[in-house]
Amino acid sequence: MTNFDITSSKIDGMGPHGTNVGLLRVLGPAHVWALGVGIVLVGEYMGWNFAVGKGGAYAALIACWFAGILYTCVAMIDSEVTSTVAAAGGQYTQAKHIVGPLMAFNVGLYLVFAYTMLEAANAITAGYLFSVVATMNGFQGALDQRPFIIMCIMFLAWLNYRGVLATLTFNLVITAIAFIAIIVLFLGTSGVFGGGIMQHASLMEGAASLPYGWIGVLAAMHFGLWYYLGIEGTTQAAEEVRSPARALPFGTLAGIMTLLIAATLTWYVSTGVLPWEFLGDGVNGSVAPLFDTARLSGSNALIWLLGFGTLFATLASANGCINDASRAWFAMGRDKYLPGWFGAVHPKYRTPYRAIVFLVPIALIFALGAPLDQVITFSILSGLLEYTFMPLNIIMFRKKWPLDSIKRGYEHPFHPLPAYTLLALCAITFFAVFLGYGTQLVAMIGFYIVVSLWFHFWRYRFVNRGAQFTMPWPKPKGY
Amino acid sequence: MQTWNYVEYGAWALSALFGILMVVDWIKTDSTYSEEVLTSSREGELEAMTEQHKN
Amino acid sequence: MTHYTPPKQSLLSQLFDVLVLVALTVGALFVPLWMGMAGSSKSVPAPVANPTWEKLGQNSTEAKQYEALGYTPATAHDLILARFDYSFTTISLLVMIAVIIVYYVLMLRFSEAEYRDVIAEKFSKK
Repeated sequence: MTNFDITSSKIDGMGPHGTNVGLLRVLGPAHVWALGVGIVLVGEYMGWNFAVGKGGAYAALIACWFAGILYTCVAMIDSEVTSTVAAAGGQYTQAKHIVGPLMAFNVGLYLVFAYTMLEAANAITAGYLFSVVATMNGFQGALDQRPFIIMCIMFLAWLNYRGVLATLTFNLVITAIAFIAIIVLFLGTSGVFGGGIMQHASLMEGAASLPYGWIGVLAAMHFGLWYYLGIEGTTQAAEEVRSPARALPFGTLAGIMTLLIAATLTWYVSTGVLPWEFLGDGVNGSVAPLFDTARLSGSNALIWLLGFGTLFATLASANGCINDASRAWFAMGRDKYLPGWFGAVHPKYRTPYRAIVFLVPIALIFALGAPLDQVITFSILSGLLEYTFMPLNIIMFRKKWPLDSIKRGYEHPFHPLPAYTLLALCAITFFAVFLGYGTQLVAMIGFYIVVSLWFHFWRYRFVNRGAQFTMPWPKPKGY
Repeated sequence: MQTWNYVEYGAWALSALFGILMVVDWIKTDSTYSEEVLTSSREGELEAMTEQHKN
Repeated sequence: MTHYTPPKQSLLSQLFDVLVLVALTVGALFVPLWMGMAGSSKSVPAPVANPTWEKLGQNSTEAKQYEALGYTPATAHDLILARFDYSFTTISLLVMIAVIIVYYVLMLRFSEAEYRDVIAEKFSKK
């Protein structure tokens, strides 16, 4: 016990008992926005364009909007539950209180995988960006991308290790820059001020309009999720936000609006400049579509701005992913769903430091060992399983604790319409993933089935039964 | 263009530096504090203020 | 409902649990890759010999954009002509639907059983 007072109730976010080393409550709504949008905005800089590859440009736009509806439902449902269940672990903790332990374990893994895979995808993109810049600089030969991939992950993990406030303030700044870069690109190339370079009509005529027909529109839903994937991560900050019941719904809903704007603008400028076959192939063609759009604009200023925008977006996203994945991993360790060793908080920095360090090599395995679309598909699948859980979650929540039984910080309107809409859209997206990536889908679910059995028959014996239910709620209806 | 080769080495070095910083602090923390203090965080403590018993 | 006291887990056993999880995760990602079943099922169904922009079905605007990006008809050939194969059999679709449903049903049932324990223990002592 050294130079600080761990019994101080002033700095201990977990507080009243005083003896606990908990996470720090230091964040405001702007940080929540930065965490949510920061993770997702990279989806406009790379990855969404696989949707163009699966169905053409129009299909990508339709998918963008339908995925927008899906995520609006996600944000509304999530805001209601999380304004009530405010704890690190987010949807994991919700599932634990509302559906049951095995569901919670699965949800916790969805979270960790969706974010860790996304983090790996970001690092891959950042590494690629360094090699492009080197080539543009006149570097002969191939740049080794590995040190840059590792450096990004190491730097951000270190930042996360050192404290949440600095981490998310950093995110706020670079996310804002990346968002402004998209708007500037739109203003500079769309011709609202004259001199536009958009050629939608001739790039999307004939066979290029719907190259796969209507089934392509359905298939595009798969990567349509990528425009928004991760916005639900805002709930992970619940134990570090000063007033979760207010800041979380506000930050999340402001975030989804920002993303709807950014996604539509991105689609507009990219499809107006890049032929769909090039745009749609994110591995051999357009890895960073907004950057490629800027390259064709002929303006050096735009190239630099979007180059930095892409880099910042990948960093912000990887940063938020490390934050979220480690919170979920930590929360599961704290409940002994995972080895209790992970439930440790750093006494000085107040971060789940063991979870952060442990997830670094995992992210590196994926970033260095698998192709980008594979990694993205695994991330999307984990996300999709999570969104399928959400409607079940809210329906059970409303049933076990009707509106008058506990106070909610936010009540979402039109229940149960959003829940059923979300369920229907998830079913469509499962089918979309099945088209072209069916093997991964079955492999992934096979993995979750095996892990579920492992949890139910082995791991669950280490978990405290009653004590894991920590909310001061009345007994649920029907029990 | 040798510059980029040096940048590569720089990136390797920085990766190692951040890695070492984390691991050193991790070992130092683990050996300074007892396991009970480190893992004393409990979910929902703030919310549970109204019901002081249990946990 | 008697109070359940979980056994204390030794550090070695904790380590083993982590290794199991990591092995399963890496397996789920890499086994499909190794077996060559993964990745997008994209191929070039109808290759064109001696490609020109016209033969690749590109109009003048598209050709101009490709050239600005640094492609020639030869280097853009695979990129432009690769297509997904969306044909599927009813069986494989049914298998997928069954797998998803089995998964969720299994999980909800186990969860419900565990949840009843939790609620019973949590609310019995008040």
